[in-house]
Amino acid sequence: MDIGWFLPEAIANMAEKVDSLFILISWVSLAIFILVEMLLFIFLIRYRRRRSDDQGLSIHGNTKIEIIWTVIPAIILVIIGVLGSQLTYDIQRPPKDVYTIEVAGKKWAWDFKYPEGFKTTNELRVPEGKNILFKITSNDVIHSFWIPALRMKQDAVPGRQTQFWTGALKKGTYSIPCAEYCGTMHSMMLGKLTVVSQDDFNQFVKSGGKGGTTTSSSASPAEKGKALAQSSGCLNCHAVDSSKLFGPGWGGVYGKSKKLADGSTVMYDDQYIVESIMKPSAKIPEGYTAPMPPQNLTEDEARLIAEYMKTLK
Amino acid sequence: MTGEHAVRRGFVRDWLLTVDHKKIGIMYGIACLIFFFLGGAAALLIRTVLWKPGTPEILPGPDSFNQLFTMHGTIMIFLFMIPMLTAAFGNYLIPIMIGARDMAFPRMNLLAFWIFILGGLVILSSFFLGIPDTGWTAYPPYSIQTPGVGLDLWVAAVHILGLSSILGSINIIVTVFNLRASGMTFNRLPLLVWAMLVTAFIQLFGTPALAGAVTTLLLDRHAGTIFYTASMGGDPMLYQHLFWFYSHPAVYVMILPAMGLVSEIIPVFARKPIFGYRAIAYSSVTIGFLGFLVWAHHMFTAGMSLSAGIPFMITSMIIAVPSAIKIFNWLATLWRGSNVFTTPMLYSTFGFMGLFTIGGLSGLYLAAVPVDIHVHDTYFVIGHFHYVLFGGSMMAVLAGIFYWFPKVTGRMYSEKLGLWSFWTSFIGTNLTFFPMFYVGVMGMPRRVFQYDINLQFANDVATIGSYILGIGAILMVTNIIISLRSKVKAPDNPWGAKTLEWSVSSPPPEHNFRETPVVTSTPYDFGVASPRQFNEENVGTR
Repeated sequence: MDIGWFLPEAIANMAEKVDSLFILISWVSLAIFILVEMLLFIFLIRYRRRRSDDQGLSIHGNTKIEIIWTVIPAIILVIIGVLGSQLTYDIQRPPKDVYTIEVAGKKWAWDFKYPEGFKTTNELRVPEGKNILFKITSNDVIHSFWIPALRMKQDAVPGRQTQFWTGALKKGTYSIPCAEYCGTMHSMMLGKLTVVSQDDFNQFVKSGGKGGTTTSSSASPAEKGKALAQSSGCLNCHAVDSSKLFGPGWGGVYGKSKKLADGSTVMYDDQYIVESIMKPSAKIPEGYTAPMPPQNLTEDEARLIAEYMKTLK
Repeated sequence: MTGEHAVRRGFVRDWLLTVDHKKIGIMYGIACLIFFFLGGAAALLIRTVLWKPGTPEILPGPDSFNQLFTMHGTIMIFLFMIPMLTAAFGNYLIPIMIGARDMAFPRMNLLAFWIFILGGLVILSSFFLGIPDTGWTAYPPYSIQTPGVGLDLWVAAVHILGLSSILGSINIIVTVFNLRASGMTFNRLPLLVWAMLVTAFIQLFGTPALAGAVTTLLLDRHAGTIFYTASMGGDPMLYQHLFWFYSHPAVYVMILPAMGLVSEIIPVFARKPIFGYRAIAYSSVTIGFLGFLVWAHHMFTAGMSLSAGIPFMITSMIIAVPSAIKIFNWLATLWRGSNVFTTPMLYSTFGFMGLFTIGGLSGLYLAAVPVDIHVHDTYFVIGHFHYVLFGGSMMAVLAGIFYWFPKVTGRMYSEKLGLWSFWTSFIGTNLTFFPMFYVGVMGMPRRVFQYDINLQFANDVATIGSYILGIGAILMVTNIIISLRSKVKAPDNPWGAKTLEWSVSSPPPEHNFRETPVVTSTPYDFGVASPRQFNEENVGTR
């Protein structure tokens, strides 16, 4: 019987090793499960009370059989424990030649810093053939960096670096959910892993992390802003209409006056938008107490987003 | 001469200010059931949101969803399962089962009850003042940053409820050690009392660690301390160590008494002595000890080096052995028994034994470090602990409610309604919690409203299952209410059980026993050396 349907696609060697331990435990569990439920069912039915004054057998125990059913589970568990320990060491030790990507969790997006110096948000692009080491930390609260297709997960803890590594991967696109509850929009903290060929990856590195992800250079500033807002995770918290998701909605606000938390008003223009992205705590809108977490954007990029906001009704 | 129990007093003096362990137990039970329905309502709302992925439409916003799962966990653990088992069943049954007239400290018992109610009210007050949104685990730094008084109320309630637990535990320990009737040696102690005793020790040793964790959390929030602020030399992981040093043993607080309950019920309806009395009693003690050595299996992915998890993997594997021993002992008790399918028996066998087995086996995946790295913090974990706590503990609680209903109320419950409530909760449990294993492995984290659209069918099955569970719970309460109003009096010992509470009237008199009983055998002296011969003799004499 194949229980592969119970597992998501595995795209690395190590993920397959984890799966084989998963499947081993499943067989052991299934065997014990069937044994227990079968005996339960048989004993209950076979020895059901037929006459109201029926009695059971007066037997209080049996040392021999009790030792047997103590020792056998213990041996099975020791075997699982030994296999689990070996695999644990394999997972822990990264190989020497690794391509290191620094991962930082923040409310509510993933930042990736490549060794060439550029950064992306929520878009993790890796070459298929290389060993990759993820060094993981957090800018604010605890998150958990989980790539189900790799069967790997480590918490992103502020002030601490955690890590995991992977060998060669299969091309494709896979999800990166945050597995540790981290506040309001935790559910929406979703990154994307794209495994590409080495050539495509070189292109990506040459373009400073832009290649293939954003629209072509001929696109209008508003279109570029839209792509940026999507890839940077802005739209996880800001609706494109006037509704309040977590932050204020963006639709139909441009060019109008806006009330602030301190009672004053401000013109909702390019300058205000750029300032709010670059320095979120400067002017907080009415109805909010905490500023937006700091974002990983340049001032030029903030201007593009302002262009995009202009188009929203 | 009128007995003292015949003197009429007002409701306040007779109930609210009573020091009678049975009445305090009943009050705990009623309060816990009310909290159960509140926590259950939160669960049904969560499942309704999860009918389809995306930002919840039936709630005001994403924060409300986060508040719902926080309240569901907090209420079900601190206001339902722990007090239901240790305080409601514990109070009612421990003194009368060991042949005592009351708990060792009756006034402290009443104090613990009112402290518990106060803690419950503090948690309820957050519905008006601000609901915490941290999850029941309240990990910093998020729990330090979250605004509003919700988390402060939560911390206050945890302290208050912890005090109540500690007072209750001291009472149970002193009672069991000092107030046993003559002849009630430790080797004749009902297995429920063994389990309750171990549980009381766990609470006594574990609760202070939780108190330390939440106190430092509160100081970090309001007094400018830096216990958990990494940038200033603190460490958020310290909280997790302290929290789980209490909260993993707390899992055994929620399962050991449940094991005790079914250990009482199964032999009675099998008409057979419990198989391996000592093995069951001592495995409770073993679990109590080992329970303190497994906490870091909640933290395999939290930032410890992976190999540091290996010792905890080993202890977590070892602790499965005493649980397995118990399952085999109960199975052996059913073997060559004379099993009758009353409602409590169904809840104990198909319910508790059948479902707890699934809960226990799914724990193997979580104990193995490499597999846990994948399934940790996913719906797989939710499925696992609901099979343990709902399939296990809750089934035992329901078994216990029906089993002792005639003794406590002096009325018989409706067997027909009881069977309906069993089968709805049995089917509902499996429909709700089994799909969670699948969605968790496939990539759905816990505490989210957004998930892969391919997982919608499995989530919908779980949602439908949860509604069936809701119906089962309503049937259970309907049964209680209808039966309370029925005129059919329960006999003193409808099940032919041999623990001491069945030797007195139903309901028992105020101080349990007119004369202190003398115990001469274990409470599981059922069965005959050769059942067939016995039956033939009986038929012959008829």
